[in-house]
Amino acid sequence: METAQITPFAAIAEFDTPGALVQAAEKVRKAGYSKTDALTPFPVHGIDEALGIPRSHLGYIVLCIGMMGTAAALLLQWWTGAVDYPLVIGGKPLFAFEFSIPVTFELTVLFSSFAAVFGMLALNGLPRFYHPLDNARMTRRVSDDRFVLVIDKSDPKFHPVETIGFLRSLNPISTELVED
Amino acid sequence: MSSYEIDGALWSRVRNAIAFLLLIGVAASVAGAVTEPERFYRSYLVGFLHPTSILLGALFFVMVMHITGSVWSITVRRFHENLIGALPLVAVALVPVVLGIHHLYEWSHAEEVAHDTLLRGKAAWLNPQGFTIRAFIYVAIWSFFALRLVHHSTAQDSTRSIDNTRSLKKYAAPGLFLGFISVSLASFDWVMSLAPHWYSTMFGVYFYAGGGWASFATLVLICLAFRSAGMLRREINVEHYHDLGKWMFALTVFWTYIAFCQYLLIWYANLPEETIWFRNRFVGGWAPMSVALLFGHFFIPFLVLLPRASKRNLKLLRAAALWFLAMHYLDLYWMVMPTFYKDGPSFHWLDLAPLVAVGSLYALGFWMRLKKHAIMAVGDLRLEQALEHHNL
Repeated sequence: METAQITPFAAIAEFDTPGALVQAAEKVRKAGYSKTDALTPFPVHGIDEALGIPRSHLGYIVLCIGMMGTAAALLLQWWTGAVDYPLVIGGKPLFAFEFSIPVTFELTVLFSSFAAVFGMLALNGLPRFYHPLDNARMTRRVSDDRFVLVIDKSDPKFHPVETIGFLRSLNPISTELVED
Repeated sequence: MSSYEIDGALWSRVRNAIAFLLLIGVAASVAGAVTEPERFYRSYLVGFLHPTSILLGALFFVMVMHITGSVWSITVRRFHENLIGALPLVAVALVPVVLGIHHLYEWSHAEEVAHDTLLRGKAAWLNPQGFTIRAFIYVAIWSFFALRLVHHSTAQDSTRSIDNTRSLKKYAAPGLFLGFISVSLASFDWVMSLAPHWYSTMFGVYFYAGGGWASFATLVLICLAFRSAGMLRREINVEHYHDLGKWMFALTVFWTYIAFCQYLLIWYANLPEETIWFRNRFVGGWAPMSVALLFGHFFIPFLVLLPRASKRNLKLLRAAALWFLAMHYLDLYWMVMPTFYKDGPSFHWLDLAPLVAVGSLYALGFWMRLKKHAIMAVGDLRLEQALEHHNL
């Protein structure tokens, strides 16, 4: 056993039901761990609250970029239609809110959905080709029927030996120290 | 089961209060009809449309929830079912509209039609006999589907059979189809034909969108009233209110989308017989109300209900729901009244009397039904799942 020599990335523990995972997560949060994560095959109700994971900021990013889309669409239509190349079409004004709403709406939606997709990827640090958790033997089953709790090495309370010992006290199927 | 029945003393107290309001409303309406018939019938139309469109919105909601197999809504469904149970009463509330047909509709005067080419062309549809017969056919369609939906849902309280859920689904599909067509036609008859030269094929959806919007506000207010009385606090919790808030938000956008599309097409085509309807509302005394609707019916509800936190704040949701009901009234007022008062809005005490009369008539129908069955759809097989509903 050479556990003392490896650089640890995280301590993980696996459970076989979502209920056991949520219960263990409550204890992990109450023990003072904050840099935590859970790997599950499907969304588990209540896991965010149990681990104390804050709500994502994605909504605010989408709102800001969406409003930039609104502004961009209005500017585009006003500048091209009324300033740069004024041309009367069908007796309509060079610029009017009435006809610019559809394009404004579409660009707002387009900007918002791009912000949502790419913002989500950026906040998750994706795409990436390698993740240390892939080294763990037990994470192979999280896409099937296992529920894994992760305590990251960046957590101030993290200690390779004590954290594993603490995870064992939660009655998991097994625990593992993942190499970086 | 017994805990889902309403306390007898509370029920009687509220019933008496509604009956009292109904008496006052009817007495004031009759007094108005005698003294100022012209004004009365105009005010009555708005006062009739407001609660009626809410019942129709509720009918839409119940059928959509059945057809989509929605689970979260099971805990709130019975309230809307009791509301649509009042739909047969629309036949009673319709009587003054039919009686006032000559006060309200230009096309009902034979001498007007005789020298108006457009009205002559539309006379096959727009004539007093057709109007009356159609109105009661619409009510018959709505009542049929409403009562079947209520019947199968309440029967399930004791049968607890999946067959009831299947039947509900079977009624919901043709109900949505026929419901949309009949509400559309009803809005053409009752509201759009006030300006018989004007037409908009989207008008029915516009009318229905507003009704659906207000019906969610009504449902939120009913749920919150029961909550303050200490009932269904666990069954209808913040997760369910969150979803009701999402519907309120979605229909805010939908109403605006329809209202704007209707306006944009007319603005673009720029045909005099179409633009006149908007000119009457955008120029002169009605302009401030049009601006008030743009902000009060769209911008303010949109921005207030946009954050997740506000949809989960019950006090704010209650205030928003009351605001919605007021704005829906303003929207209907704005649809009906400019035809009669071209210079601008002139509010009158008679605007209030029919609203109270028709509103409390339906409320009484709702309240009488509430006593007959459990106040929640206790027989639905997915109830457990609905109670555990959770927004991610």
